[in-house]
Amino acid sequence: MKIVVDQVKCQNHGLCAISAPANFALDTDGKLQYHESFNEENIDDIEDAVDSCPLQAITLSRDAA
Amino acid sequence: MARQPTTSYLDITGEHFRMNSEEVRKARTTHWYARTEWGIAVLTYEDSSFLLKHPQLTQGSAKWPAQHGVVGGRFDTWWQKTLLVLEGDEHNRIRRLVNPAFSARQIEPMHDRFRSLADELIDDWIDHGQTEFASGFAAPYATRILCMMLGIAEHDWKKIHELAATIGLGLGVTIKQNIASIDDAVVELTRYARSLVQSRRESPRNDVLSTLVATRDADAGKLSDEELVNLVILLIFAGIDTTRNQLALSIESFSKQPDQWEKLAADPDRYATKAVEEALRVNPIGRWISREAAETFQHRERTIEKGSTVHLFTLISATDPAEFGNPDRIDLEVERSPHFAFGGGIHHCLGHFVARADIGVALSAMATRITDLRIGEGAEWLPDSGNTGAVTLPITFAQRH
Repeated sequence: MKIVVDQVKCQNHGLCAISAPANFALDTDGKLQYHESFNEENIDDIEDAVDSCPLQAITLSRDAA
Repeated sequence: MARQPTTSYLDITGEHFRMNSEEVRKARTTHWYARTEWGIAVLTYEDSSFLLKHPQLTQGSAKWPAQHGVVGGRFDTWWQKTLLVLEGDEHNRIRRLVNPAFSARQIEPMHDRFRSLADELIDDWIDHGQTEFASGFAAPYATRILCMMLGIAEHDWKKIHELAATIGLGLGVTIKQNIASIDDAVVELTRYARSLVQSRRESPRNDVLSTLVATRDADAGKLSDEELVNLVILLIFAGIDTTRNQLALSIESFSKQPDQWEKLAADPDRYATKAVEEALRVNPIGRWISREAAETFQHRERTIEKGSTVHLFTLISATDPAEFGNPDRIDLEVERSPHFAFGGGIHHCLGHFVARADIGVALSAMATRITDLRIGEGAEWLPDSGNTGAVTLPITFAQRH
């Protein structure tokens, strides 16, 4: 599974970075940076990040290698 | 040396300030910001979008009571510890714990109950062809939904509503003259919140409050008693007053555009979401969002000094012709850029999924049941502020058959 962020929808609010700081962060310009792949032990945090995105711009894709 | 731009001065301190005025629109055509008594006001969409999430700007509302000479009382003490004004690790820790309780997934199953409540309230006055919308719908609807979510007995709604409305005055420009009753309301709600938390700890139910109490008990980074009580007060205050006011503003906006009201009525499943977004865009309760500079930084030609306040003018940025076509009109067919009625950055409104859902259900219920919606004589509005809305909103209409 990998994390997919819809860059058109994303408004860089940063709530995902609060929920799952191991996978999402805002850089010094306030732009979202994230890792597509993640450690399975962080799945709860990542699901919280998906839920908490105000734009609902984050999805988890099962197609990833 | 670069020529200094001409910026307007807007007096936002008075009861007569109207964001939706020619004066403010004219200021927007002149420059990206205007000067005010409390720091600059950002007027354009592009600059609002950028500055709303700027890493050097923190939530600026901590200073709000002090700006009005209100320091150290019950309201101010509570206010300084609310999620709304907390910053840094303390904010992030609480926000992380409470976010899941307010997800779209949690709210979705409640839609049917929202609709039943809306219909029940409309039934009370639909045969009369007129009602006072603020007390006949907006207040009981917003309050009883909050009661539903927290698991408070809905028959207590009037008391809860009164307390929430009183605390809501704390965000108005008249805070100083109302502070004694605002302080009393905080004391009373604190007592109420304590008893609620205690009762859910003893016997959990299937409500948001029980989820929050369980979060406290199960998580290593648990919420303290004090944090839970502060949060419950915030939810009661922010969850009721905002929705109540936004409902009235939404009805006012739609009354001016019967074509769009009819469109919503014809296919609410398709248009309800857009109806909410458009109403929030053109007529938001929060006329401005406050931010404070954590460090001095440069934006365009303007140096924004550390400690200074930046107001982001929501209505005026969300009707900026540089970003939106035909910006002042509600248009349910057009894809619009996101507005900032729910604020932004990490302080983005916690309850926005709830608000979007319950306002959408309310507008759908109203539109499918009444037509020829008009604002009657004697509407009274709160001054423009961080939380404006209707004191009274008489409406007339015809029943839809």
